[in-house]
Amino acid sequence: MRNLATVYWRALVQRKRLLGTVFLWTFFLWITTPFMIIMLKSVGRNWFGRKWLPPNLTLDWYRWAVTVANIPRILANTLIIAAIAVTISTLIALPTGWALGRRKVRGKELLTSIILLPRMIPPIAYALGVAQIFYRLHLVDKYLGVGLAHVAICAPYATLVLSSTFQALDDRVLEASAVCGANQLRTFFHVTLPMVLPGILSSIIFTFTTSYNELTLTLMTYGPHTITLPVRTYLAVGEGYWEVTSAMSMILVIPSFFVLFMIQREIAPEKLVGGFKGV
Amino acid sequence: MSNVMIELRDTSKRYGKLLANDRLNLSILRGELMTLLGPSGCGKTTALRCITGQVTPDEGQVLIDDIDVTNLPTHKRELGMVFQNFALFPHMTVYQNVEFPLMIRNEPQAESRERVMETLRLIRMESYEKHYPRQLSGGQQQRVGLARALVYRPKVLLLDEPLSNLDAKLREEMRFEIKDLVRRLGITAVYVTHDQAEALAMSDRVAVMNAGRIEQIGTPDEIYECPHSRFVADFIGLSNFLRGKVVSSSGEQATVEIDGRLLIVPAAGAAQVGQDWLVFVRPNDIELLPVTGEPIENELDGTVSKLTYLGDRIDYRVALGSALELRVQTDGKVRFAAGEQVRVRLPPASCRPVTE
Repeated sequence: MRNLATVYWRALVQRKRLLGTVFLWTFFLWITTPFMIIMLKSVGRNWFGRKWLPPNLTLDWYRWAVTVANIPRILANTLIIAAIAVTISTLIALPTGWALGRRKVRGKELLTSIILLPRMIPPIAYALGVAQIFYRLHLVDKYLGVGLAHVAICAPYATLVLSSTFQALDDRVLEASAVCGANQLRTFFHVTLPMVLPGILSSIIFTFTTSYNELTLTLMTYGPHTITLPVRTYLAVGEGYWEVTSAMSMILVIPSFFVLFMIQREIAPEKLVGGFKGV
Repeated sequence: MSNVMIELRDTSKRYGKLLANDRLNLSILRGELMTLLGPSGCGKTTALRCITGQVTPDEGQVLIDDIDVTNLPTHKRELGMVFQNFALFPHMTVYQNVEFPLMIRNEPQAESRERVMETLRLIRMESYEKHYPRQLSGGQQQRVGLARALVYRPKVLLLDEPLSNLDAKLREEMRFEIKDLVRRLGITAVYVTHDQAEALAMSDRVAVMNAGRIEQIGTPDEIYECPHSRFVADFIGLSNFLRGKVVSSSGEQATVEIDGRLLIVPAAGAAQVGQDWLVFVRPNDIELLPVTGEPIENELDGTVSKLTYLGDRIDYRVALGSALELRVQTDGKVRFAAGEQVRVRLPPASCRPVTE
């Protein structure tokens, strides 16, 4: 009897494992299939989706993307704008996050929701307003202009990440440093800064990817000199060159993979999503 | 060089309407382990923070080693401190944590290494020098905290509820370890706790605090056996309080009438007939006897209303009349059942008048 029970139990466990595996693979394919199609499209010739795999492989589309669509220049634009957005957002978010995380601020909830507002309202509506102002200020088609537009959605993220980082900073650890004989300056460099550095790094990664991926706000503020990779890719779809567009999206994706890899190696990903435990 | 290491002179600290410290006067002798004991909110932590410099008293002076440090910032006070939540630097290894005070003082590398390893050996953590705090258990973390506080041989060691975050068994082991370490190093230590057992087990002297004031200072046995006030008696150990009036007084003894019964209480000459007294007696000092013959001096008859078995002892509630109930603890060699008539004997030497 006991043997039979064990057999049934094993079977159930196996079944559960089987079910789990099926779910996992479904989820995995659901996320990766569109991506794989783009990847195949970008290296395939004469492939119209009737066969499982492209008949001929080619790197022509990448060559086209680089030469005709001027992708290196556009990638440089995208990175410059992201750098501007990251720098300004971080400079704004450091003191704001410190105040929200460390000080008793009256109306903290209201303040937080105001900071989050640009993220709450539909981006296109917000972008429209930004564009109106920027036309008047001659900020359209300027690196600074597009960067500033991105700050509107990057800074809230940075502020949230940094305020929870600073909030998680244990006062007693700082006190311990003082009791050990460290003055404020040495406490800052030996204790405070190393403890908040992972949080600052995740804030920078967050703002970077947000700016790098941003389409809507760029669409309303870009010009011929400041066109970014997401916008170029979007426009290329309209022009109908699917293969070149696929090659462009592949190029667009590379830095994201790099960032993902970096996050996996350097900082625990669970610190970036949810918790924001800081250290 | 006086024999006083730390002195609080009339220090007061106010937080808004709350008077956290009310004219504290406290002298801690060299090499002494002094405990500040009291319930949360009694001001013991504020007093400690006045010593560390994290709080500047509104009035009064703080002296360490005969120097007025009232306005000296924390990092110049040459202290060692152990925290309730350990407060180790999470980004540093055990070695780096312990080395930190020496690094701040720019000690030469070789000497510093020797000192750190010596201190780690003292707390039996030398094999963990490369571990990070999060890889250690609570007890290990606290030992590292202790090493960090002791490594540069500070004048004073401050311990802020260092054992509260540890489990009961470890807490008891660490008590003796800390006490032993402080004794061996001959360092002056201030220990803050709300745990009376910890205070009694560890201290040379205990200062019992209540509502921002020091209620009583004394050795552990003085505090336990001769509490001056109801608060001290109640906070340290179990107590019965009996309210009565002095009916006669003869030098060393006073007779107190409690609810129609007479009780002889030793009095240090101060008893006046007609005074209202509060008499306190510990539950384990009371003897429980079977009812035979007439009760003699300090014997009262009552009924067991409740009993609780506690393993090594039995806790009885004995009702004396309608209003009065005594708590009695015996070793359980002679047992009584609930509802049984018993005679309680309150030995005069164990009865003691206390102030309200």
